[in-house]
Amino acid sequence: MGIYKLLQQNGSDFFSNMRKYRFLLVQLIRIDILSGYKKSFIGILWMVIYPILSVIIWIILNGAGIIQPGESSIPYPAYVLLSTSIWGFFIGIYQTTSQIILQGGRMMIMNKFPQEVLMVNKIIVHLILFAIPFVVNLVVLLLYGVQLSWTSLLFPIALIPLLLAGLAIGLVVAVLRVVAVDVVAVIDEFLKLLMFLTPIVYTPKLNISGLSTFIEWNPLTYLVGFSRDLLTSGIFSDTQSFLICSAGAFVAFVLAFIFFQTVGPRVLERLVTN
Amino acid sequence: MDKEEKVMVSVQNIYKKFSRDLKSSLYYGMLDVGSSLLNLQQKELRLRKHEFWATNDLSLEVKESEILAVVGANGSGKTTLMRLIAGIYPIDHGQIVFNGVKKITPIFALNAGMQPLFTGRENILIKGAMLGMSKKELEEKMDFIIDFFEYKDFLDMPVGNYSSGMKARLAYSVAIATEPDLFIIDEALAVGDSLFKAKCYDHLKAYVKQPNKAVIFVSNNIKKVLEVATRVVVIDKGVPIYDSKNIYEALTFYINDCLKDTIDERTRQLRLEKIRSYEI
Repeated sequence: MGIYKLLQQNGSDFFSNMRKYRFLLVQLIRIDILSGYKKSFIGILWMVIYPILSVIIWIILNGAGIIQPGESSIPYPAYVLLSTSIWGFFIGIYQTTSQIILQGGRMMIMNKFPQEVLMVNKIIVHLILFAIPFVVNLVVLLLYGVQLSWTSLLFPIALIPLLLAGLAIGLVVAVLRVVAVDVVAVIDEFLKLLMFLTPIVYTPKLNISGLSTFIEWNPLTYLVGFSRDLLTSGIFSDTQSFLICSAGAFVAFVLAFIFFQTVGPRVLERLVTN
Repeated sequence: MDKEEKVMVSVQNIYKKFSRDLKSSLYYGMLDVGSSLLNLQQKELRLRKHEFWATNDLSLEVKESEILAVVGANGSGKTTLMRLIAGIYPIDHGQIVFNGVKKITPIFALNAGMQPLFTGRENILIKGAMLGMSKKELEEKMDFIIDFFEYKDFLDMPVGNYSSGMKARLAYSVAIATEPDLFIIDEALAVGDSLFKAKCYDHLKAYVKQPNKAVIFVSNNIKKVLEVATRVVVIDKGVPIYDSKNIYEALTFYINDCLKDTIDERTRQLRLEKIRSYEI
């Protein structure tokens, strides 16, 4: 069928473009990471200082005492800390990729280069920016008495479906952000709300009337929950649901990527730049 | 001398429409998204409300070793044409056929993509990468770029502190180092002070003497056109209305026929005088 050919075409275009433009990729990553620190004397040290500061504030706030909302196997503050950083991993990649065309638009109508370079750029920058605070958070988790096991090492792999899911929505919204501002506003708001409809600040065991069904059908419940449980207890929880949701995320990503590659260049002419 | 010249770019009956109204433009953009999803090619050449043709059945050939100047009043479709040739905008209808053109370097705004907080040296890499150069190519061309730029002492200063002329010189030096087969220059031909401008003109003239090279540039600056162009095409409302290798005649036509509504009599005479005096 046509879809296979389309996949093959998009795939081979992608890899040849990446090879051809890898130096541009390096430059764009450098710009994204270093721009904010160019005037600073201690430079990228801030990338470590910020997460440490926020974690300290967090610990102090939590020391003030917090009720146990739902049962969890690990201390509640640690639970929320971990859950929010996993959520941040998902929502962060959405936020950066969904801005690609709008932000990179001027660059794209001035120079001719494939827009997927920007996508890979955003993914790599996102991974770097996630990894640093995450390591800091991990130290805090250990302080809270969370025990890591060997299977916890699979945690980064368990995050891949979340990355793909975030990218899938981000790539579609990147195109829509140029022409359909109202639709995008709804999606942006919904995703903010979605955090509270996913067991992040409470546990899946907490019974909230009316919400339980939504939480049960929300794929993020399983994508976030699986990686969280894997890290904190080394167990594979609800593997079947996780695998189904992962497959769904993968398919969604492939479709979104084809959409981005085919429709993306068509909306460039609708950009309003100066 | 008049042997068969090789046609490098053949623009064939291209149409491109834009909307004057923002919301209509966005709405049509949504329709475009829908039709590309359903793989519907919009073949019909019909303008919707608020739309106009930026290029209207436009055909044009660029031959080897030409420096083609595209002139026309503001909004006549010059930049759109350049973006279509560069492959940045998709064409609504028609096609552009390239012959032996492996690399195109378009420059629309020299400063585009330059990072003010990064040094000149870093920006050479950034700009070069954006123009499609690899690390190896840039290493090889680094000396040439720095040589052409001339301000060696400023290379480690943030580009944001450069004068605008210096910034343009740096970007231009990187752009020419890409050595494209087709060089598209939109409003950025010859930048900086008069000495540097002269250097740019000489470089371009020598550049197109090599086999399989051509330059298209957009300019409304009469002096620049007179300096380097080997052929002039005048565009009006998305249509080429004059095409000549006689630069003086083409420019005279442009001033008399194209600009007659936009400039007053005195300006017109002054500009014509510029052409005449250049001839001598």
